[in-house]
Amino acid sequence: MYAVLIVGSLFMAFPLLYGFFGSLCSFEEFYNSPLFPFPRHLYLENYRVLFTPSVSLGLWVANTLVRIGWYILIPGTVAVFAGYAFARLQARGRDAVFLYLLSSMMLPGIVYFIPTYIMLARFPGSGGNNWLGQGGHGFINEWPALLLTGWVNVYYIFLLRQTYYSIPSDFEEAARVDGAGTLRVLWDVYLPMLKPTLTVLVIFQFVSLWNDYQWPLIVSAGNPKITTLALGVQRTLLSGAYIKKLPPSTTDWPFAFALAMVATLPTVLLFLWLQSYFVEGVQGFALKG
Amino acid sequence: MAGSVQTAARRKGTSLRRRQTREFWLILTPILAYYSLFFLFPVFANFLISFTRWNGISGAPRWVGLFNYRMYLTQDYPLIVMNTALFAVLILVAETALALLIALLLNQQIVARGLFRALWYIPTLTSAAIMAQVSLAFFSPYDGMINAVLKSLGRPIVVWTTNAFWMRLFIVLYSIWRGVGGPVVLFLAALQGIHREIHEAAMVDGAKGREMLRYITLPLLRPMVIFVLITGMIGSFQIFEAVMLMSKGGPSNQTNVMLLQIYNDAFMNANMGVASAGAVIMAILLLWFSLTNMRILSRGQVEG
Repeated sequence: MYAVLIVGSLFMAFPLLYGFFGSLCSFEEFYNSPLFPFPRHLYLENYRVLFTPSVSLGLWVANTLVRIGWYILIPGTVAVFAGYAFARLQARGRDAVFLYLLSSMMLPGIVYFIPTYIMLARFPGSGGNNWLGQGGHGFINEWPALLLTGWVNVYYIFLLRQTYYSIPSDFEEAARVDGAGTLRVLWDVYLPMLKPTLTVLVIFQFVSLWNDYQWPLIVSAGNPKITTLALGVQRTLLSGAYIKKLPPSTTDWPFAFALAMVATLPTVLLFLWLQSYFVEGVQGFALKG
Repeated sequence: MAGSVQTAARRKGTSLRRRQTREFWLILTPILAYYSLFFLFPVFANFLISFTRWNGISGAPRWVGLFNYRMYLTQDYPLIVMNTALFAVLILVAETALALLIALLLNQQIVARGLFRALWYIPTLTSAAIMAQVSLAFFSPYDGMINAVLKSLGRPIVVWTTNAFWMRLFIVLYSIWRGVGGPVVLFLAALQGIHREIHEAAMVDGAKGREMLRYITLPLLRPMVIFVLITGMIGSFQIFEAVMLMSKGGPSNQTNVMLLQIYNDAFMNANMGVASAGAVIMAILLLWFSLTNMRILSRGQVEG
């Protein structure tokens, strides 16, 4: 039994260890050690190249951080309000509305990607389009395409609703007796108590947008100025030989490994720092549903 | 006197009700409007587009009836649908079984448990696209690690990328590597949720290791297994980055999957009709799989 654990753990760790040690090798050293690349002396050239102008790492990170900030702020605000509405406000039709929102989780994203793409491309008056939405490229390859979708995240609304349920309503009632309105109640009473759940939201949005690939590939692949991290890194991984002006015959894997390591490090560090919140977030639906 | 107090209370109740209803719709109206524009409307539009021929760029969509759906019965499309289902089921079953086993092992008192737990979750935090691209370093035919090892052992090299069996295997292995962490965490959480008293009571009744597992632990994990299989199915059907960047669907579509084909139809070949039909077929397959899954798995739930 423990053999499975050991072998399995090796399988899990091997690619990352291989990549880490490989990234510290020079090109020649790497190709002279087929089984496992072990650098004989510290070689940081692969990392140094990443921070020269030939790799736009800084731009990709900046663009990604803009999206992360935006997608924490908007879906977070929506979830704080909607979670409150579903947990604390009595209204006819409430459960039906909640089910309507939940229904999206049964469908794969691709059933709305294509019309959404067309909607963005044909948005009237944008990106060279006339008022009928014809003639230009619309929001495709422009910032709005990377910021307009995904404002309502049902999973976070669900998480927030469960958190409101777990808070006794005495706090709210006391504040209301003192004359506080709903906005004040949300801000002063609930927000401090929502902090753990909002931390879960922040780290999951961070990881998923840091790694977001599919949507940026579809709507922003033609504009290098708005390239985000995962897309930029994926497209640059195999061009190490070109960037380092080596003969173009073989892939410069050490360079690729260094780039992949740098792109992966932030999410891993975040995980090691806030492990318990990750566990909380993964469990969300399963244990509370 | 008593009557007027009651009326006042009722009036207060009604005004509270009214305030809550007003605020509920004040919050939900913009959310529902947004949601309808970016979810409900596109889903319907996708359905309609699937009956048309349209490039999505210029001109009006032309109604072609079921042409696009019939298309899915010709050429390599049936193969692509089969591949998707095969990958989804293989990856999901292997991943869930492995995760269950690992969680049972990690739930014991073992050395460096925290380290192991982190190790199994970390691949999930990496980018699917970046890691798929990097994985070429292992099986790339002419500068990959596996062939370099074969060569140094004096064995002939294998051109993995032209071999459907090997590419399928690499894609499955990669997907398990990246996907197993979530289920491990879920099973561990479920195991820790089983109260110690239940195990102690079973122990008093004479249950031993294997019996305990078979009759106590596994049945109690059942809801979590169902949850992992159903949510996992939706995810594993949408396999995309691994195929796109490891095999590009090749050799000759033998590893191609629906999402990649839909992406190519829609955004590379500007054939929105066929792509939308693919999306509809995928949604129907998924709903059908999920419902069947739920029915099979929840059978015997009542006795259990």
